[in-house]
Amino acid sequence: MKHTPRTASLFPEPLTDVARRSASRAPPATPVPRAMARELWAAVQWSQPTPGEAAIEAQDFTPRVSLEPPDALLLELRGSLGLFGGLQPLFAQLQSRFPEAAAIALAPTPLAALVLARAGKSCCLVDATRLVSRLSPLPLRCLRWPEQAITRLSSMGVHTIGEALRLPRGGFAQRFGTVLLESLDRLVGRRADPRKAFRPEERFQLRCEPSFELADKAFVLHTITPALQSLEAFLQERQRGITALLLRLEHRGRPASRCVLRLAAPEHRASQFAYLLESRLQSLVLPAAVRCCELRSGGLLEYAAASDALWQPGEQGGGAGARMPAFLERLRARLGPDSVHGLCVLADHRPERLSRESEPALKAAPASPVMPWASGRRPLWLLREPSPLAATQDGSGYPGHRGSRLALLAGPERLETGWWDGSDIERDYYVAADGEGARLWIFRERSGARGWFLHGHFG
Amino acid sequence: MPDADPTPPLQQLLQHPALWRGRSVAPVATFATGFAALDQALPGGGWPRTGLIEVLTAQQGVGELRLWLPALALLSRAAEARWCALIGPPFEPFAPAFAAAGVQIDKLLVVRPPQPLWATEQALRSAACDIVFAWVAQAASRDLRRLALATEQGRAPGVIFRPASAERESSPAALRLAVQAVPQGLRVRFIKSRSVTREVIELAFGP
Repeated sequence: MKHTPRTASLFPEPLTDVARRSASRAPPATPVPRAMARELWAAVQWSQPTPGEAAIEAQDFTPRVSLEPPDALLLELRGSLGLFGGLQPLFAQLQSRFPEAAAIALAPTPLAALVLARAGKSCCLVDATRLVSRLSPLPLRCLRWPEQAITRLSSMGVHTIGEALRLPRGGFAQRFGTVLLESLDRLVGRRADPRKAFRPEERFQLRCEPSFELADKAFVLHTITPALQSLEAFLQERQRGITALLLRLEHRGRPASRCVLRLAAPEHRASQFAYLLESRLQSLVLPAAVRCCELRSGGLLEYAAASDALWQPGEQGGGAGARMPAFLERLRARLGPDSVHGLCVLADHRPERLSRESEPALKAAPASPVMPWASGRRPLWLLREPSPLAATQDGSGYPGHRGSRLALLAGPERLETGWWDGSDIERDYYVAADGEGARLWIFRERSGARGWFLHGHFG
Repeated sequence: MPDADPTPPLQQLLQHPALWRGRSVAPVATFATGFAALDQALPGGGWPRTGLIEVLTAQQGVGELRLWLPALALLSRAAEARWCALIGPPFEPFAPAFAAAGVQIDKLLVVRPPQPLWATEQALRSAACDIVFAWVAQAASRDLRRLALATEQGRAPGVIFRPASAERESSPAALRLAVQAVPQGLRVRFIKSRSVTREVIELAFGP
C-alpha cells in the first residue's frame, strides 16, 4: 500500500479533555475508497467566468466533466490517459484546447486540483503521496472559505493549507464547524468528493433548405412539416415536451423573420405545432421570399400525457382536461400573447392597483384572500382612467352624467392612501345612480380642484 | 260507430306525441340564475346549459353583468370548472368585486380581440369554457347562427351583449332579453323565450 496517503499523521491526537469531547462531534475521516484513490482530476481555471462552450469542449476529453462556478471546470481524466497516449500528451492537448485558461492543474482529488489551479500552478501531480507536501505551502485563500474563517485563522497564525492541516481535528471542528473540516478531508482525499456531472441542455434544431425560394406562406408550412414530425419523434423519444418554438425564416438580402410560439403547457404533437404556426404565420408579413427555414426548440420539459376522460367536457363530471391550455394557445397564436389574460387581486387600498392582469391559471390555485377593504361596495367594472364628470347646470354642485344629475345613494367612503410611493390618493367615494337608474361609482377629490370623477360601473 | 265517443277529452288528445303546441315546454338542462323570479319565468327553471342568449341594453354598465353574477359564481366554483371567458369587455373587470360575489377569479379569462366574433366562436366551440360572455356591437344573423351552432358543440352557453337597437333584427338566439336599470335593480323583458311566461319582471339587487 505504498500509495496510501499518509495524512493520518497530520492530525495529532487531541490532548485536552475539551478537545476530546468535541472530537466526538467531529466527523470521523472515512477511509478512501480504492476507486477514489485512483482518480485523476484536472482543474481548468480562468481569470474571468467560464466560457459557455468550454464545458462542451471539455467533453472531448472525458464524459466526466463538472462545472465549478464561477470560473473553473473539473475533468476526471484517469480513464482518458490511455486514449491520449499518457499524461504529458494529454496535458499538452488540454493546454492547447484551453489557451485562454489561467492555469490547468492535475491532482488526485478534485479540490486539490482546484486549489493548485487557483494558486496559478499549472502542474501534473499524480502521486497521491506527494499531495500534502505540494499543497502545504499554498495560502488558505485558495480554498475559498468564508472570509470570516480565513481572518480568524490568520489571526491564529494559520496562513497556509499545511498549517491548517496540522491543527487538531476536534478543536478545528469546534471552532470552524464540520463543513470546513470536511472540506480539508476532501482536499487530501480522506473523504469522497462526488461531483455533479455536467449535462448539456438538449434542444432541437433543424434547418430545411428547399430547392427553390418560397413566396407563399402555405409552402413554408408544407416545407417544415417533415421537420415538425422529426421534432415530434425527438420529443417522444425523450418523453419531453416544449413550451417554446422558434421558426426562423431567412430571406435573400433581408434580416430573417422570426415566428415565436409560446405554449401554455408542454406540447409534443406535430399537428398542434403545425396548427399554431399556421395561425401565427397568418399575422406575419414576409418581407421577401423565404430561402431557408430553421426550427429551434426551447428547453425540454417534463411531459405527462393526460388521459382523456370518459365524459365530454360540459357533461356530468367531465373536466376540460387538456382543452383549456389548447384553447389559450389557439387564441394567443392568432391574437398575440398579450390579448388573453386572467385576473388576480393584489393587496393595496387604491382601487386602480387592487386588480391586476395575470397569467391565466391552468392549475387550481388556492383562492387569493380578498382584502376586507376591497370587498365592500365595489363595482364590477372599473375605468382604466377615472373620467372627469362635469357639474350640472343648476348650480347645486352635484355631478352630472350623460345629461342628468346623479343621485348619491351611498357614501362617502374615504380613501386616503398611497402616500408612501408618491401616487397618493385622497378621495371620497360615492355610489350614485344616473337618471336611468344605472349605478355608478364616483369620487370627489379632497384636494386640488375637488373635481368629481367617474371610476366604475356596477354593471 | 254509434258507441264511440265522438269527442275524446282534450287532455287525451294533447298527450299524443305527434301533436306539438307552440308553447309546449321542452325539457332543457338548466342551472340556477340566483333570482327566484327569473328562475320561474325561464323554461326549465334557470339559464339554459347550451345555446345562445342575447342581452340587449341601451347602454353598457346598467346591471347586465350583475344579472349573471350568481350564475358565474355557481359555475366557477364547480369541481371541474372550465374557463368563464369575457370577450371584448367594455371596461376593466374589477377582480375584488367578482371575488366578493363568490366568483373564483382564477377561472375568469379576459380576451381582448380586435374582432370579438372569431374569439367567441373559438371559445364556444373549444369546450374549454363553462360560459362565454361576449360584447358584440355588430353581428349579422349569419354570424349569430354560427355562434349558436358552436354552443351546441362546446356544451356551453354563450351570452351576447348587444345594443338595444338590435331588437328589431332577427336572431337565432334561444333566449333574448332586454334589460333596463330601475332604481331597485333591473327590469328584464323577454323578447324571445321558449317559456310560457313572457311578462316583464323586476329583479332587486342588494344594496
